[in-house]
Amino acid sequence: MTAKAATAEKRPLTHTELTDIIDLCLWAGQMLLQHGANSLRVEESVHRLGTGLGCDWLDIVVRTESLTITATSGDEFRTKTRRVVRLGINMGRITALNDLSRRVSEGQLDRFQARAALEQIDRQPGTYNRWLVVGMVGLACAAFSRLFGGDWPVFGVTFVAAAVAMLVRQELIRQQVNPFLMVAASAFVAGLIASSAAWLHLSQQPQVAMSASVLLLAPGVPLINAAHDLIRGYMSNGVTRGVTGLLISLAIAVGLLLAILLTGAGI
Amino acid sequence: MNGWLLAQDLFWAAVAALGFAVMFNVPRRLLPGCALAGGMGHALRALGMGLGLPLEVATLAAATAVGFLSEWLAKRHESPRIVFGVSGVIPMVPGVLAYQTVLGVFELAGLINLSSDTAANELVNTAVLGIKTGLVLIALALGIIAPNLLFRRQQPVV
Repeated sequence: MTAKAATAEKRPLTHTELTDIIDLCLWAGQMLLQHGANSLRVEESVHRLGTGLGCDWLDIVVRTESLTITATSGDEFRTKTRRVVRLGINMGRITALNDLSRRVSEGQLDRFQARAALEQIDRQPGTYNRWLVVGMVGLACAAFSRLFGGDWPVFGVTFVAAAVAMLVRQELIRQQVNPFLMVAASAFVAGLIASSAAWLHLSQQPQVAMSASVLLLAPGVPLINAAHDLIRGYMSNGVTRGVTGLLISLAIAVGLLLAILLTGAGI
Repeated sequence: MNGWLLAQDLFWAAVAALGFAVMFNVPRRLLPGCALAGGMGHALRALGMGLGLPLEVATLAAATAVGFLSEWLAKRHESPRIVFGVSGVIPMVPGVLAYQTVLGVFELAGLINLSSDTAANELVNTAVLGIKTGLVLIALALGIIAPNLLFRRQQPVV
């Protein structure tokens, strides 16, 4: 099958071809879902990918923890479900997958080239060095402390607290610790270091350091996706994502509380 | 609000957005757009509040501006909107409000003891903080999906 044929008059696909295409669609959808795409984007991208590769139609059920696709071509159809585990946000992969589904729907790639492209995306390591990420996250939270009206000592304390918390987070993710526990532990470490602004008498505004240094854990993507899903009609996904965001916020609060109780920082 | 303060605001918000973009593994070529969205958004909100708008309203206006900016950037770079949208509103996240709410709840529960306010006052203060945090979050989410909500009405592919 040439790339051109995919967009021209559609011939019925064989059973083998349909199986291959539905696997590609599940793979792409799974990656989109686990790296933080909203439900509408997952459904649209997968649909474009499948029809671009020669299917007549796809029915796609997107849930936050699984993906089910029925692909139809002529009289043949196939249905498959894939379990999806939540992983970290990765905008690089979402961008690459978005690009892939666009190229396929324009008929630039056939299913073999699409598979090669997916393999490449799946193997793609993070764009940024681990230590660069740690430094940038520290700087970002320190920048937050400026936005919250903090002084320069608070800036420094926040930088260190957030950077160390990011290191802890990376390590706990690697150890596959439960996500909520991971957030609570990272918030605890951030709070512990940030409270040094109070007990070392570095600044009058330790509360700024405490609140800015845990922002790296803030569930921004789940909450924004929740709103998007709710408004776009993916009600149950919206609720699920909203509750996830709420639980992450709660985990941050628990970590901070432990830090406050331990240091007795009257913050 | 004078120009120098506004410029500082824009700068630090852009740094915050950039840091989060790196954490989210945004491709290098899209980083400048993320910093721009973050800086513009927060500076616009500061401007709005300087003009006397309440925090929530200024946030909604600024987040909507970020939404439209993201739409434009996404078209230009042929990339998903969420890349710029999320980085753009990150600096407006109500961190201090959320933190104070949490402290208020712990204080009500008797876990920590910070202020000498009466329990009734504390309850009201905490409720107000919680409501404000929630409203700002809703304003952020509504703002960045506003363009999508208003102008994307073509037949869905599915």
